[in-house]
Amino acid sequence: MVLLVLVCVLAGVVVLAVFGGPEARHLLAPYGLMKPGLLWMALFFLAPVWSLVRISLSTKESRFSVQYNFAWAWENYSRAFSDFGGQFQRAFLYSFIATILTIVIGYPIAYVIAFRGGRYKNLLLGLVVIPFFTSYLIRTIAWSTILADQGPIVSLLSTLGLVDVFEWLRIMDNGKLINTPAAVIGGLTYNFLPFMLLPIYVSLEKIDANLVNAANDLYSTPTAAFRKVVFPLSLPGVFAGTLLTFIPAAGDFVNAQFLGNPNTTMIGNSIQDQFLRQNNYPVASAMSAVLMVSITALVLLYSRLFGTEELV
Amino acid sequence: MNTLRSRIARMSLNVFAGLGLIYLFLPIFFIVLFSFNKPKGKYNIVWQEFTFDNWLDPFSQKSLTAALWVSLRIGALATAISTVLGSMIALALSRRTFKGSSAINLLLVLPLTTPEIVLGSSLATLFLNQTYINFGFVTVVIAHVMFQVSFVALTVRARIRGFDWTLEQAAADLGSTPQRTFRLVTFPLILPGVLAAALLAFALSIDDFIITFFNAGSTATFPLQIYGAARVQIPPQINVLASMVLLFSVALLVVGATRGQRSEAAKAMKRPKIKIRK
Amino acid sequence: MNKSTNSGARRNPWTRREFLMRSGALGVAGLSLPALLAACGGGGGGGNALVFDNWPLYIDPSEDGLVGSVERFAQASGVDLTYTESYNDNDEYFAKIQPLLGNDKRIDPDLIAPTFWMAGRLINLGWVDKLPLDKVPNKSNLEDNYVKPPWDPTGEYTMPWQAGTAGIAYNIDVTGRELKSTADLFDPAFKGKIGMLTEMRDTMGLILMSQGIDITTISTFEEAAAAFDVLEKAKADGQIRAFTGNDYIDDLVSGNYAACVGWSGDVLQLGKDSPNIRFVVPEEGGTLWADVMVMPKGTENTDAVAKWLDFVYDPVEAAQITTYVQYFSPVKGVQEEVAKLDPELAENPLVFPDAATASRLKSWANLSDDVDAQFADAFSAITGA
Repeated sequence: MVLLVLVCVLAGVVVLAVFGGPEARHLLAPYGLMKPGLLWMALFFLAPVWSLVRISLSTKESRFSVQYNFAWAWENYSRAFSDFGGQFQRAFLYSFIATILTIVIGYPIAYVIAFRGGRYKNLLLGLVVIPFFTSYLIRTIAWSTILADQGPIVSLLSTLGLVDVFEWLRIMDNGKLINTPAAVIGGLTYNFLPFMLLPIYVSLEKIDANLVNAANDLYSTPTAAFRKVVFPLSLPGVFAGTLLTFIPAAGDFVNAQFLGNPNTTMIGNSIQDQFLRQNNYPVASAMSAVLMVSITALVLLYSRLFGTEELV
Repeated sequence: MNTLRSRIARMSLNVFAGLGLIYLFLPIFFIVLFSFNKPKGKYNIVWQEFTFDNWLDPFSQKSLTAALWVSLRIGALATAISTVLGSMIALALSRRTFKGSSAINLLLVLPLTTPEIVLGSSLATLFLNQTYINFGFVTVVIAHVMFQVSFVALTVRARIRGFDWTLEQAAADLGSTPQRTFRLVTFPLILPGVLAAALLAFALSIDDFIITFFNAGSTATFPLQIYGAARVQIPPQINVLASMVLLFSVALLVVGATRGQRSEAAKAMKRPKIKIRK
Repeated sequence: MNKSTNSGARRNPWTRREFLMRSGALGVAGLSLPALLAACGGGGGGGNALVFDNWPLYIDPSEDGLVGSVERFAQASGVDLTYTESYNDNDEYFAKIQPLLGNDKRIDPDLIAPTFWMAGRLINLGWVDKLPLDKVPNKSNLEDNYVKPPWDPTGEYTMPWQAGTAGIAYNIDVTGRELKSTADLFDPAFKGKIGMLTEMRDTMGLILMSQGIDITTISTFEEAAAAFDVLEKAKADGQIRAFTGNDYIDDLVSGNYAACVGWSGDVLQLGKDSPNIRFVVPEEGGTLWADVMVMPKGTENTDAVAKWLDFVYDPVEAAQITTYVQYFSPVKGVQEEVAKLDPELAENPLVFPDAATASRLKSWANLSDDVDAQFADAFSAITGA
């Protein structure tokens, strides 16, 4: 149906362009330029969302059938919530904590590079980005080697006698660093750090040094200068970084798979399992749709509360 | 006292950033280290002994090399398509506002604010419902172009925002044909932005796992091959290839950094020239 | 490629093959024509190419001066064999081929090796063709207990590739003691250090047997409900570290696992390199399974398939495979051949089960579709993914 509307709109545009005379053509020029790209997005972004929603309300003809009958099957949604509520909660909780952590780790690094990098600024920025030129999967698998029970970190911690502290902090569980909630959150934090760090850096870098100097000249303490001048000006970066971190993290399944345990699975794992192992496309689609809607709602709410126009 | 305190604060911030860098490089260090490991038996998870063998024969794993080749081909094709489509959107958007431009902006941002798993699974439901295209090379290219177009359009638009489009007007006034204007004025102006966007798009395509996973059928891209290998054994060649990609990116970065400064200077020199020629 | 051409080719394979060969002799024009035909239809009828998609690390490779089975077969038969290893997981593979086979399309491989229960499902769905057994003289070497098995009652669709058992694999450096029972997996001392397989029949099989339930006759979900509760509780308590496929070996070797449900051959393959990794068939019983070769619907290279089946059912060749993979061979006479190559291996009850071991091995009953669905749902609810 979406496709039909799009085709009508496109046909209308073509008709206008052909019969509308030069004025209409001038008016339509941008549309003509965008047509192929937008058509692609309509076909392979909007139409799939449509078909996702359709399948999420369909039933299968039989267990292994590839035929689906649209039937307003809301039970797919109730199953998504009843069977996978925990996974939804964990997905949002873990990615929320990971987002906070990326700010805590990424902000100071971005700050140091932007204000103290001097002529090494570009080099430092390059250094920060380089790790992410290796494959996402290899990085995550490397973490599972590093955090292994007989791996270097656990050995170091036990030599230093810090295991009990880490157990108390709930980072370690029964002597394990890996296959814990902390490992999943840590993996998410690591993998999405550049998406937080770079936008913050960009917004910090734009800040006019004179503003900070002015604050200092007016006897502001460094802390106050930061709080009243630098930090507010860097908020657009934090805002963009939050979205770029939280959204992919909430849908991720790689970290939970390689670094988690059966009690730390996220909604991404469930969608992947239902879709690519259980052939349960209706329920998988329902979970996808719920994820999409809830993230869109969160993003809208968040932009209303903290948003700026500078996102894109 | 105040200065001492602020100096400590300064220092600790620098130390924190330094620790942050170490954290970022920890897994990279292990990846490179294990590319020199000589695994005992089939498993490259415990350090055994140092060897150059893996580096001397990085393409010995046939399926891995084949997958890398598939990834490069998909990346090149998808990037070519998405760069053209995305740049066209960016050009259209950046000249003037028109009816519906905010809706199109929203459409461009949507793929970025949608989790990959939703993009991947929804596209898969579309392909599942038809019998014209089988899951494989073509569906992966389609999927990659889909998310690349947004990135390209937004990157190019950000780069060319604030350009002086009256230059085109001037060329037209001086009797230049639209094609000629595009070739001599518009294209050179947008080229750096387009190249940057293409590089980004290519990088995204090469490393994409989640969306590809849902739409690849039995086609194995490099990330999918790694995922498959991770379920059995990770050969050191994976670490070697990953390290090679790393080295290549670093080289690109260095070249880009030095070239970037030069081209800034070149641009400053070139600007008036264009005007004179027209 | 349309269907009529396909069936036409099957009805009259030799003409088409001859045609292909002749057009090949025509040079450039001929070169592109077969390529074109291959591109739309995938090889000629009874063509000389073969694609076998198998589980990873499941055949002897060419290494240490030995020529692997793939190369030996290619040399002996002249068949152009493409051997791939992308069969990683039964459910995942099924999900990949379902959109194709379910829509009457072909998949690339001419031969795949699903586990017996998956093969049964494929037969029921009509997604596999009968094997060209009349062209396989060595089919008489098939071990008696695989003749007309429950998953393939007529015996026309499947030939076992390898069989094996799921039992308990453990790292004695971590456990500090020998294990012998499935109950050991639930020992609180190993909390968070136990691995389970995502292969439902193996994990649940062990638990069911430890509860005294006979998996050879099980027919309803209710019989298994208590066993699922045991697994659910172990997962909730944090006893289980992960549900994995083949990758359990990594965790076992690196010491992340104390013990896990594992497959016999994998552990034996680790062999001398890792003497601390042990395998035991639990005293309550272990599962007996087989991965079987089937031809997905529409396979045209049936002659090449027949040659391959005949090759791997030759005890001399099969012994080479067994010496490497160390699973149960479904081929008669392999034990004698292995004795010539590796006398110690020929005596290993985990490769050639003796009566005592065999009595503890049980294979799953054929579950009806509905019951199978209940089992699968209950299991995936626990694995949490």
